[in-house]
Amino acid sequence: MDPMTFSIIRHRLFRIVDEAVITLKHVSGSAITNEGHDLMVSLYRADGTLLMGGVGFLHHLTSAAEACKSIIRRFEGDIHEGDIFLLNDPYTAALHTSDIYLVSPIHHEGRLVAWSACFVHVYDIGAVNPGGFAPQAPDIYTEGFSSPGIRLVAGGEMRQDVLDTILNMVRSPEMVTLDLRSMIACNNVARDRMQSLMTKYGAKEVDGACAELVNQSEDLFRARLRELPDGQWQSRQYLDVNGDTARVNLTMTKKDDRLIFDFSGSDPQSPYSINCTKWASLGGLFAPLFPLLCYDITWNEGVLRPVEMIAPEGSIVNCTRPAPVSVATVGAIQSVNNAACSTIGKMLGASEKYRNQSTAVWHANHFAIFKFGRNQKGGDSIGILTETFAGAGGARSFADGVEIGGEIPNPISRMANVETVEAAFPVRYLFRRRAPDSGGPGEYRGGTGGELALVPHKAPDGGINYVISGKGSRHPMSEGLAGGYPGAPNSYVWVKAPEDGANTPVTAAGGLDAISGTQERVSWGVYPLMGRDALYVRWNGGGGHGDPIVRDPEAVRRDVAAGLVTLQSAGDIYGVALRDGAVDETETMAKRKSIRSARLQQEASE
Amino acid sequence: MSGQDRISASVAVKEGQAVCAACGHDLGPATKPWKDHAHRREIPLALAGGQAYDTGHEGVLLRHFYCPGCAALLDTETAMAGDPALDDILAARG
Amino acid sequence: MAGTGETSYLVATDVGGTCTDTVIFGTDGVIHIGKALSTPPDFATGVLNSIVSAADPMGLTLEELLGRTHLFIHGSTVVDNAVLTRDGTPTGLLTTQGFEDTLHVTRGAYGRWSGLTEERIKNPVQTDRAPALAPRDAVVGIPERMDCDGAVVLPLDEAAVEQAVRFLVNEKQVGAIAVSFLWSFLNADHERRVRDIINRVAPGAYVTLSSDIAPNLGEYERTSTAVINAYAGQITNDYLTSLQGLLAEKGYDGATMVMQGYGGLLPAAEAADRAVGMIECGPAAGVIGAKFLGDLMGDPDVIAADMGGTTFKVGVIQDGKLEYAREPMVDRFHYLAPKIEVVSIGAGGGSIISVDPRTKVPHVGPRSAGARPGPICYGQGGEEPTLTDVMLLIGYMDPGQFLNGSITLDREKAERIFKEKIADPLGMTTQEAAIGIYRIASAQITDLIREITVERGLDPRDFVLHSFGGSCGMLAAAFGQELSVRRVVIPYTASVNCAFGLVSADVAHEYSVTQNLPATTSAAQINAIFAPMEERARAQLAAEGIEPDRMRMEWSVDLRYSRQVHEVTTEVAANTPLDDAGAARLVDDFEALYERKYGRGSAYREAGIEMTMFRLTARGLMPRPTLPAEEEGSADASAALIGNREIYVETKGGMAPGDIYDFNRLQPGNSLKGPAVIHTPITTIALPDRMTARMDRWRNIVVEFDAD
Ligand SMILES: [Zn+2]
Repeated sequence: MDPMTFSIIRHRLFRIVDEAVITLKHVSGSAITNEGHDLMVSLYRADGTLLMGGVGFLHHLTSAAEACKSIIRRFEGDIHEGDIFLLNDPYTAALHTSDIYLVSPIHHEGRLVAWSACFVHVYDIGAVNPGGFAPQAPDIYTEGFSSPGIRLVAGGEMRQDVLDTILNMVRSPEMVTLDLRSMIACNNVARDRMQSLMTKYGAKEVDGACAELVNQSEDLFRARLRELPDGQWQSRQYLDVNGDTARVNLTMTKKDDRLIFDFSGSDPQSPYSINCTKWASLGGLFAPLFPLLCYDITWNEGVLRPVEMIAPEGSIVNCTRPAPVSVATVGAIQSVNNAACSTIGKMLGASEKYRNQSTAVWHANHFAIFKFGRNQKGGDSIGILTETFAGAGGARSFADGVEIGGEIPNPISRMANVETVEAAFPVRYLFRRRAPDSGGPGEYRGGTGGELALVPHKAPDGGINYVISGKGSRHPMSEGLAGGYPGAPNSYVWVKAPEDGANTPVTAAGGLDAISGTQERVSWGVYPLMGRDALYVRWNGGGGHGDPIVRDPEAVRRDVAAGLVTLQSAGDIYGVALRDGAVDETETMAKRKSIRSARLQQEASE
Repeated sequence: MSGQDRISASVAVKEGQAVCAACGHDLGPATKPWKDHAHRREIPLALAGGQAYDTGHEGVLLRHFYCPGCAALLDTETAMAGDPALDDILAARG
Repeated sequence: MAGTGETSYLVATDVGGTCTDTVIFGTDGVIHIGKALSTPPDFATGVLNSIVSAADPMGLTLEELLGRTHLFIHGSTVVDNAVLTRDGTPTGLLTTQGFEDTLHVTRGAYGRWSGLTEERIKNPVQTDRAPALAPRDAVVGIPERMDCDGAVVLPLDEAAVEQAVRFLVNEKQVGAIAVSFLWSFLNADHERRVRDIINRVAPGAYVTLSSDIAPNLGEYERTSTAVINAYAGQITNDYLTSLQGLLAEKGYDGATMVMQGYGGLLPAAEAADRAVGMIECGPAAGVIGAKFLGDLMGDPDVIAADMGGTTFKVGVIQDGKLEYAREPMVDRFHYLAPKIEVVSIGAGGGSIISVDPRTKVPHVGPRSAGARPGPICYGQGGEEPTLTDVMLLIGYMDPGQFLNGSITLDREKAERIFKEKIADPLGMTTQEAAIGIYRIASAQITDLIREITVERGLDPRDFVLHSFGGSCGMLAAAFGQELSVRRVVIPYTASVNCAFGLVSADVAHEYSVTQNLPATTSAAQINAIFAPMEERARAQLAAEGIEPDRMRMEWSVDLRYSRQVHEVTTEVAANTPLDDAGAARLVDDFEALYERKYGRGSAYREAGIEMTMFRLTARGLMPRPTLPAEEEGSADASAALIGNREIYVETKGGMAPGDIYDFNRLQPGNSLKGPAVIHTPITTIALPDRMTARMDRWRNIVVEFDAD
């Protein structure tokens, strides 16, 4: 086709997705959509294959394609212009029940020509715990409303009975209405723009450009794979919940222009809601694959074609009904994404041409903490602790990871200001800062994570409660590369005030240990933050790259000065001696020499 | 594998053999798990250094693989006792 | 104002990235224009050169002109430049203990991806934050704490402050100190006491308090603003002082007013202490200039598009109102200060055309040949085809007519390289390929403007498009038509629009109070918030010599639905101080505005409405110069017809004959039909088929689309 017209149509398809995202954010107005950017909008071809993925939560690009396909199968012959379908059943295509897909067919001159799909994390879905993440759910039946596909809008008219039925099952139906309304508006914008694109250039021409775009992505991705070495790379993730530990094992094989992700050997599905379905696993592995391998390739079906996934049925990465999955997005899906990031990072690191694209694992462990309770103004407040979106960058083969630098699967996220949180919730921060020693040591250090402590403040009920789905406080999950250490794991501590009636702490410059009281680890369930107690959270740093004892001693000195690495770790892990704030070169050399000789003193165990 | 490929920043490939990138120590064929030829050491995570790794839980290990020639740290894994090593190998050209 | 008899002058000079423009209005109604190259970092030289270039044709020396000048208005990129080149004063930061990392953490990834193109955001491995203007080792946490009501939780540790100041000044050698404490915008007592201590311990240090410069909620943005201001404060001070000194030396004894990013003027002495206010004041002045023209021509809804060599900028004026940026940035740093929204992307005449070797898909930009080496046809060493070269190849530019014939364009070389690098790889003829590239550029600008209007809930069909800058005229009619705007205007003053905007601005001060109140708040309570602001504002304006009858107090309130994040600045339309009906109307107006901006059904009323910020814009009206209007004469434009050549005509699907006109020979009332090209001294206007261009009473070119 004419390369000029192709270029114009391609650009316009990108903008259509952008405009739909803007509409979604505008109409919704919710904090999680606008601040956390927990959303996704994309376009699909008439057969449901991915045409154009936007910059949203990348886990969803492939799952929403499956949502389109399953709607096509279910409603074959009964799909009409102006219809909008809702789907949120994880065993059909969705990631978990609270991420609702609305998919809408796009017709031109009476013919089905494309689909648009979007999701937001809705305010509530009626699960046993509020907010969508349900650590106390034993099965899918207690994780709220779910549908494998239902017509919400018929020929442009809202089906009020269907809507009322859904709203009847959720907390705060007004907020869920708003979420649904925003998704409808978003799909309408995508449909209108696609239709005017086809009117201007012709449906056949546009579809031709779409086919070309998909083929082009496939060709480019296969060409890139051929440039990379053939081989096999392994990674492993440990997910601990309430004392149980589950493994996600991955062997990634690259041969010629194909890539196989094999999760054989992963543990059986868990009694806890960290499991994920196979569509969710597929989404999880593509989330890092798009930005790491296809950063300059349009994200569509063409990228999917060279990739195969093997996920054993009944395992934590391909669970079977009725296993609970509500924490999947920060559970098994995130581990799949970490594991894939690790093997892809290894493969890129093995290539002369692409080694600078290689990265250790970023922010591997979200902590989903939903605070809820009456606030200082007497109103109800509920919301996620947005520090979970703050993340940490993995070290790269040429540079340190970005401190508190976000995550790979959600390219544009951010956390709320302390003042914003304190204005809306009856809490006060004692500190919020970068956590020392949290970035994985290496020649290039992983980006640090952060730490914070909260106390109740002017709370009418003496404090608030929170739902925590905080797995991963035992095992580091942000793996390093080429010898780099993993980032330090998450930590969630309930500091119980001493009996003797001391006041609520007002400051804690020394960190966790400066808060008086007894420390108790928490991770899973519903807990109070009341009275004079404090909640401490530390989130993981990124993985390191290379051997820490070859890190530039000057960089270690700077890290210590900036409070990113402790003096003890500078000596023990990096082998750097500091004296009066300067590097002691002689002693550093001696220290590194002695670390080297200690390394070989023990017999090889295999 | 092409002439410029390597296993990682720490393990190079020379004439089909995996070698330490720092000193050239031979680590066996690149098409086989090189970790069998490395010096392996496991330490409890809590002792890995700094306070941040001390989670208060036992049984989590940091597994290091060192070059027997120069003691360079070639790879680090998070592991539980008895879990196999993670193997990264390049395919034979051909 | 002017004395009797002798003409006196208003001189306005705008320092832009490349050029420094001057507009002079005489009390005799005549406008004079001057232009010179900008001379960073010593911008004052360029300012004087520019004024001289305007004075010359008037037959006046600089001294003669300045001796008869009653007002000097100035806009400058000095602050932007100090930040971009990292040329500011070494700066330290004092902040609340426990939150020392706030500036450097940038609310997580926000500071890593902000300001990057979508292409770069899609490759996170290659992205980093910009290093902060205050290094982390020059940040000291101070024991102190306020809570969300501004109540003291932990008193200020003055000894710690003194020690920290000594450390910053002696050990870290800082020359400027920013102070930013949590909740200081509700209770500034701690910050003010810190300023007193700094003044005592380190009297030479430049100090900025976050509660002074950005008294708003959100500690990251507030801190970042204070740091930028501290960093650029001294340079700005020095610059304005030395410029005024130079002007005084040349005989000027009047006031100097300085343009702010929100489109208002401040006396130089005040502007010097609010460096962040000057950021991007040039583009803001450009939008003000477009608004002035829109008002003059009776068009309250204007899309102002400016395309020069490297950037494409768009500002939107709706119903005569300007929109403020929600999350302004300079370089890659966020700040909080009222600033007119101007969206800028890297697309201009210098945008490099390339063909992706893997896919054979052509691209326009994002790389630019800039001013140097520039397009191939300029013959300054450019070896990569640019959009300007394409304009030459499709007949829109005349090799002999460029910039009044001051440079002869090298068409042969442009064609040869374009063929080799673009047309051949695409398997097309040079002409086909050039036409295709033009179509792509036009379509991409259409997409961009559509996205900008969608973001604001606007429909481009309601707007008039103003085209500014050297490259815009060749595309404006084409993308204007695809956007279905009402008409396209290429203003007579397009070449010096920013300087023109300076003279159409008023003195303006912005005040705000952050306070969270329900929508049911009584009129009396709202009035009580505004009263002290008004009092301050009136005193300020009076001190600047503004008579009470020229003062205007404009109230507005930010409102939002309680559980939604979008805040909408809603103008108070009722008379102030408010009565209860006026307060109720404010809430109604907010609701209407919200739906218009965010779409039908976007409001969640059940959650309640709250007011979050109370804003006062205090204006001192400046005497507005009048643009002389001429009589419109005959429609016959044949006197300006200078030729006919092959140009790209979309309706013909290729090259076809087009009439060529000389702008300088057109007279008000002349009308001409496309396909045609009009050469002006600074740009070229391409008029497609089925469009009509007319010169209006102010010598603007107005393009209308013929009815089907
Ligand atoms: Zn070695």
